[in-house]
Amino acid sequence: MKDTARDSVQATENLKHSGTNGVYAILPCNGLDKAAGAVSREVALQLAERTGSEILCPVFYRVAEARYNRLAGERPLLVIDGCATRCASKLAAENGLKASKKLTVTEEAKQRGIELGDALRLDEAGCSLAKALATALLDAEAVETAEQKAATAFPEHFEYETYQKDKFLFRLPKSGFFFNENDVWVLADGNRARVGLTDYLQQTLSDILFATPPAVGTVVEQFGELGTIESAKAVMEVVSPVTGKVVAVNQALAASPELINQNPYEQGWLVELELADFEKDRELLLDFAGYLPVLKRKVDQFQVR
Amino acid sequence: MNEATFMGVPRSRIDWSPRIDYAKCNDCLECVEFCPHQVFEVREAEMPKLIVKNPGNCVVFCRACAKTCGVDALSFPNKNQTTLLIKQVRKEMGGR
Repeated sequence: MKDTARDSVQATENLKHSGTNGVYAILPCNGLDKAAGAVSREVALQLAERTGSEILCPVFYRVAEARYNRLAGERPLLVIDGCATRCASKLAAENGLKASKKLTVTEEAKQRGIELGDALRLDEAGCSLAKALATALLDAEAVETAEQKAATAFPEHFEYETYQKDKFLFRLPKSGFFFNENDVWVLADGNRARVGLTDYLQQTLSDILFATPPAVGTVVEQFGELGTIESAKAVMEVVSPVTGKVVAVNQALAASPELINQNPYEQGWLVELELADFEKDRELLLDFAGYLPVLKRKVDQFQVR
Repeated sequence: MNEATFMGVPRSRIDWSPRIDYAKCNDCLECVEFCPHQVFEVREAEMPKLIVKNPGNCVVFCRACAKTCGVDALSFPNKNQTTLLIKQVRKEMGGR
């Protein structure tokens, strides 16, 4: 079997396993350094009580690796970070655990217009935020699959131009695609479009560990945030090349984010959008001929760190 | 690097770089560690310790350093205004 075909079968298998009914192994931040730590811990407790999920204590994890690694292997892993320092995510990555879902409390609080304050003890606002986050997570799981509209039949393979520097080879699809200078592509078909990272961006990020797409139904503006991609090196925001509404996300990425590394233009696409005004967006997009020199310039300046 | 451009517009005409809220910044320097473009500078003996030294090196529309900030001390200019400005300058330059 060809590698890509095998990967696809594997991705489908993994997806089946991620049908969780909300039962997770949960690795939360429970840090005593900020209010968000107490909220993270409370979200984990709520989910454990309501679904029978099991909690991995991040402190105990340091001395009980084997037990927790086994637990994380048996169930999909939910990582709850308190803040952008992402201690829980880093702990998961250090232990080679693959998260199937993630939550960052400070970001969720911000989206809901909630100030967490400096108090370390969980107050009433923190408690109700935790409850709301746990509920939202369980509800979203039920809705996500139902809402996802059938992905449009985009071509599965493309012809590429390549540009090589040292041992790095960068692919660029020859036609149909448009790019922003933030290295994100869009492929439109009528008023629907697929979006993903360019080969250059996935290679600078190196091994991608987690993709967080926006929820189906989210409206995003051109150059706004279209989810995040987390690699061993960093968390990068995806800068949207277009304005539109998210109508589908690539669900295979939840179990196999490495599809982005394998081919970010084909199986590694990120989301599908209903376009608002592609003609207007195109004013600030580059086609193949326009992006190729940008790619070459970036590659020539790129230093592997 | 004066010839740097974004969508054909000279980078020097686009005001896009992180703003540091010193009331929140705790000098953890995660942003410095992250940014590969030397936008920030750390001045060990001075106050404030962290400054935006090279705003022109910042990638237009990139907000990635803010994602590393545990205390949410980094913000960016308004994206829509920046987009409008880029379009306007492109028009001035002859619709490139």
